[in-house]
Amino acid sequence: MTDAAGSAAPAPLPWGHRYLVCPPSHFGVLYEINPWMHKEVQVDVDLAHRQWHDMVANLKAAGAEIEEMSPVAGLPDLVFTANAGLVDGRRFVVSRFRHQERRGEARYDAEWFAAHGYEVLEIRAEADICFEGAGDALPYGHSLLAGYRFRSDFKAHSLLAETLSIPVLSVELVDARFYHVDLTFCPLDGRRAIVNPHAWDRYGRTVVERLVPEPLVLELDEALSFCANSVVIGTNMVMPACPPRVGRILESWGFDVCVSPVTEFMKAGGGVRCLTLALDVRLGRNSSS
Amino acid sequence: MSATDVVEVSGHIIDSLILAKILDEIIEAEADYRIVQMDVGKAPADQSRARIEVTAADEEALAALLARLHPHGAHPVTQPDAELVAAKMDGVLPAGFYSTTNLPTAVKVKGKWLEVENPEMDCGLVVAADSNRARTAPMHRVRMGDLVVCGSEGVRVRPLERPSGRSPFEFMASEVSSEKPKALLVAEVAERIRRARAGGGKLLAVCGPAVIHTGAGPDVATLVREGFIDVLFAGNGFATHDIESNLLGTSLGVSVREGTGVEGGHANHLRVINEVRRWGSIRAGVDRALLKGGVMFECIRREVPFVLAGSIRDDGPLPEVITDVVAAQDAMRAHVGDVSVALMLASTLHAIAVGNMLPAGVETYCVDINQAVVTKLADRGSHQALGIVTDVGLFIRDLAEHLIRD
Repeated sequence: MTDAAGSAAPAPLPWGHRYLVCPPSHFGVLYEINPWMHKEVQVDVDLAHRQWHDMVANLKAAGAEIEEMSPVAGLPDLVFTANAGLVDGRRFVVSRFRHQERRGEARYDAEWFAAHGYEVLEIRAEADICFEGAGDALPYGHSLLAGYRFRSDFKAHSLLAETLSIPVLSVELVDARFYHVDLTFCPLDGRRAIVNPHAWDRYGRTVVERLVPEPLVLELDEALSFCANSVVIGTNMVMPACPPRVGRILESWGFDVCVSPVTEFMKAGGGVRCLTLALDVRLGRNSSS
Repeated sequence: MSATDVVEVSGHIIDSLILAKILDEIIEAEADYRIVQMDVGKAPADQSRARIEVTAADEEALAALLARLHPHGAHPVTQPDAELVAAKMDGVLPAGFYSTTNLPTAVKVKGKWLEVENPEMDCGLVVAADSNRARTAPMHRVRMGDLVVCGSEGVRVRPLERPSGRSPFEFMASEVSSEKPKALLVAEVAERIRRARAGGGKLLAVCGPAVIHTGAGPDVATLVREGFIDVLFAGNGFATHDIESNLLGTSLGVSVREGTGVEGGHANHLRVINEVRRWGSIRAGVDRALLKGGVMFECIRREVPFVLAGSIRDDGPLPEVITDVVAAQDAMRAHVGDVSVALMLASTLHAIAVGNMLPAGVETYCVDINQAVVTKLADRGSHQALGIVTDVGLFIRDLAEHLIRD
């Protein structure tokens, strides 16, 4: 396959073929910790279940292997496994949640990874340093692009870099609607990524400009569809939504897009990426194939 | 009163532009910064670390700024209090005492930064018993029980700000000014003196005997009379030749007017010293109208303070000369507090001694025909010294004309 310029196609992402998910048995909007959550907007439980199972089927159809962890009553957001922590090979750095409502999740996340043979690490940190896992840290090239301000602290990035010996590029998130970096950035392949510059300050924009040679830059309304919160499996994509212009560009770049609506989960501020945690990530110098 | 704190930030702060952002935030908050320490990671996974000294207009502005920097990972470095050790005997600093520079310095005592009142190099730092004041103290002035700063923790030294705009100090950047146009320099020095005086600063003149030998005595006397010189430091030689030239018309036996030797002139200065000793003091000679002109005459008449410090090669000396050098140092120290411009005129030992005593912020102009003197002053740490290599007689005449004409 060649691109328009006739050169070789960018290398597909070396990760993104295995995911951890958690069934939405106890999902609901029981509290409000981001601008999308409104307790008065009820989740349609049946629809949520259907959407989640469809998503899992779509991920499998796109070539992904799926692992499931057990849901826990009283932890509605455990379904958003992207926030459990960060995987690096057989190591797992467990999250330190910003909000009390989610802190109970960390124990179950750590248990699952320990039970599956991962070395579970904690960032060595003072009490009030927060880090919300792959939700705020996505591998790209040799680096990890990490977001800070709303859910994770910049200090956590330097601790993470120290713990894992990897380069971390930090961007400050400035729009509370995009409170995690995975609502603003979606790695597509070795040269491309979906980017939502509206969510970053000017320094963050410059950092991403330097990082991504061929960005697909979202308009604000496109970004608000959560289309950056998608999962990429080689050249297949499972997206919560796909605005027409975005779809055309992805198609021209050779991606097969499957839209898998997760509207009930978007009521809690999460899309397809938030509902999954890639298990085959190797960071730093091992992150490219 | 500006407020300062040191913050530290580490991580991939360069690639992530975090450092740039922090520095921009500081500037946008109309505060200032200085990178105290910067360790840059080499390999991609290596982190970088920066220590940044942040100075804001006041404590409140600083606290607000630090709160803004906090989310970007910049945390205040908790500086420990300075270690204070009581001196065990008079005139001896505790071992491990902090040795001062001539730069603006602050000491942290009981969590509070105290600005050192009188920066002077090569001294100890003494903190008052009530922990509210800190001052430099030369070794011999330390008294048993004085609380002396030991080690360098809790001591902060601020480098001087570069003077902005065109200034004669630009000439200092590389070398002494032997190849600079002197007329321009003199005009600029005059301008700086005027500016310093307008700001309430005092002008100190340190004079060597060559000032009299080169015929510049009357010009210096004029500067004293017209109120441009606020304090005078010199030695036995300068005062002797000043009086000699006024009583006998010679300086070290050479006619100041003709430039030729006079018969028996070699003993003139001895006869003058002998005469002044007979009067009892220079002041007595002025009071009895025996001395009617010259620099010393003008100083006494106008009550301009002067310190004459003795040296091992002095003849006489004149009664006002302080022969105990430590006492002479202290007498000089008593006058340097509000000096903002110092003119070192053809004097080597006195210039260097005074240079060591002055806070770094004092603008110092060192005029000498010998480049080595000027270089020596700079080498000894008087970084604010502008060296002007020229004949001191011509320089002073020009300077006096500039100052008095305008």
